[in-house]
Amino acid sequence: MIRGGLIVIELVSLVVLLAKMVIVILVLLMLPIPLTWLERKIAGHIQQRLGPMRVGWHGLLQPLADGIKLLTKEDHIPDEADRLLFTLAPIITLVATFALFVVIPIGDPIQLFGQEITLYLADMNVALLYVLAVSGIHVFAVIIGGWASNSKYAVLGSLRTCAQMISYEIPMGFAVVGVVMLAHSMSLVSIVNSQADVWNIVYQPLGFFVFFIASLAEAQRIPFDLAEAEGDLGAGYHTEYSGMRFSLFMISEYLIVIFLAALNVILFFGGWNDFLVPLPSILWFVLKVGFFVWLFMWFRFTFPRYRYDQLMSIGWKVLLPLSLANILVSGLILS
Amino acid sequence: MSKTLNVKPMELVSGWIGWIFFRDLVGGLSLTLSYMFSKTVTEQYPDKEKWVPYPRYRGHHFLNTNEEGDVNCVACELCAKICPCDCIEVVPYEDEKGNRRPKVFDINLGRCLFCGLCEDACPADAIKLGQLYEFSSETSQALNVGRDALMGMPRKAEEGGKVYDAEFSLLEGVSVNISADNKSHDWWKKIRRG
Ligand code: SF4
Ligand code: SF4
Repeated sequence: MIRGGLIVIELVSLVVLLAKMVIVILVLLMLPIPLTWLERKIAGHIQQRLGPMRVGWHGLLQPLADGIKLLTKEDHIPDEADRLLFTLAPIITLVATFALFVVIPIGDPIQLFGQEITLYLADMNVALLYVLAVSGIHVFAVIIGGWASNSKYAVLGSLRTCAQMISYEIPMGFAVVGVVMLAHSMSLVSIVNSQADVWNIVYQPLGFFVFFIASLAEAQRIPFDLAEAEGDLGAGYHTEYSGMRFSLFMISEYLIVIFLAALNVILFFGGWNDFLVPLPSILWFVLKVGFFVWLFMWFRFTFPRYRYDQLMSIGWKVLLPLSLANILVSGLILS
Repeated sequence: MSKTLNVKPMELVSGWIGWIFFRDLVGGLSLTLSYMFSKTVTEQYPDKEKWVPYPRYRGHHFLNTNEEGDVNCVACELCAKICPCDCIEVVPYEDEKGNRRPKVFDINLGRCLFCGLCEDACPADAIKLGQLYEFSSETSQALNVGRDALMGMPRKAEEGGKVYDAEFSLLEGVSVNISADNKSHDWWKKIRRG
């Protein structure tokens, strides 16, 4: 009898987990659609243009039109390309990006049908480590994609991307150490819970500064978008990609932006903890993440691109010492 | 060397403070933010709006006619002589009333550079450059416009330099018509200066 009950509980939790997985995957696949629209609108209005206006109300259906266009384009693989790796690279990017969202919690647990449902797929105790490690997989996809394309622009772009990602992942990793010291945990859920009273941005302004800049570089957004510098590299590692494969790269790029915005919110802006106005925790989280996504876009259409050596010296000579000093000072104060 | 000596220490200090707090970056961000919430300057041509050019605009030619409906042109061929592109061809004849008029008056708009010299040279106030600018065609023959067509072309704009509400129509070829309500706005008012 008891064993039967246990099996039922196991089954229910399995079903819940599967349902959550399906929902997360669907939402993630859908998210780039409004984001491309938003990005083009913001770009337009910053430059006093209207942005897309023709398809649907204020161009709302434009991403669908773009999607249809990309899907119906010829699936082109260059003659000299390594076919296996060329087809593999976009899939690796997408898988790596989806894997990142496994540990992202988006709100307090909710009650549904008498079940307590947690709003994350997994609460690892080393979630932060997992996040930093898995975001490194993206580099492989970039190397493979650039190399398999067999084109000088793609190779140059992928080399730049790798150098950039590696040199910014280090200050990024150091910047979160302060947060871990404050929360005594690497689990993202307990990091958020530890900020119930005061957000980490108050204690860790320097850490946030370093982390934010490093995440701009990780997302390869302007002013750190050297990997795709249209002006000198065509489009970087995905120069040779077109149609569906190209759109896979685009989807993962947008997802990484969302992911980094979410990470900024979770680590430094109190996650779903409310501020002044009590709203449902998910709503707070979405609002904050939306703000960061908007911030990324605003930056993109304001700043010019850094030169490559400037990019490297910012990473190694400014952000790295700053993040180390941050650890030192936090450690001194905490002890 | 002398340049560095001229800098006052206070200026140096405030410059450094500005540098530390990213004054230039913040300035750029606030500028783009204010642009984000300012009016857009986009003209939604052709299906919503249309620019009607100023009266001084030099568009498609037309030939003026007098009260009797005859063309003003006296076929003096001055316009053909002065045209830098050599794109006007005039053949004179004497009409029923005994006036000298052009039998043939062809302008090759494919060669014309819309300099307006023909308009300036004309002694009879005949050839003018109007406000029509939508006359692209699929064949170069269609750009060879004859006398009767030129007499029927729209005249100079009474007023212009405004954006009118417009409608896009595919009924008679492709055309963009100003809508019936005749609403217009001054586009230059929308431009942010400074
Ligand atoms: S506008 Fe200039 S180029 Fe055109 S027909 Fe007149 S004189 Fe010739
Ligand atoms: S249009 Fe004017 S300049 Fe040209 S032939 Fe006629 S009268 Fe002379």
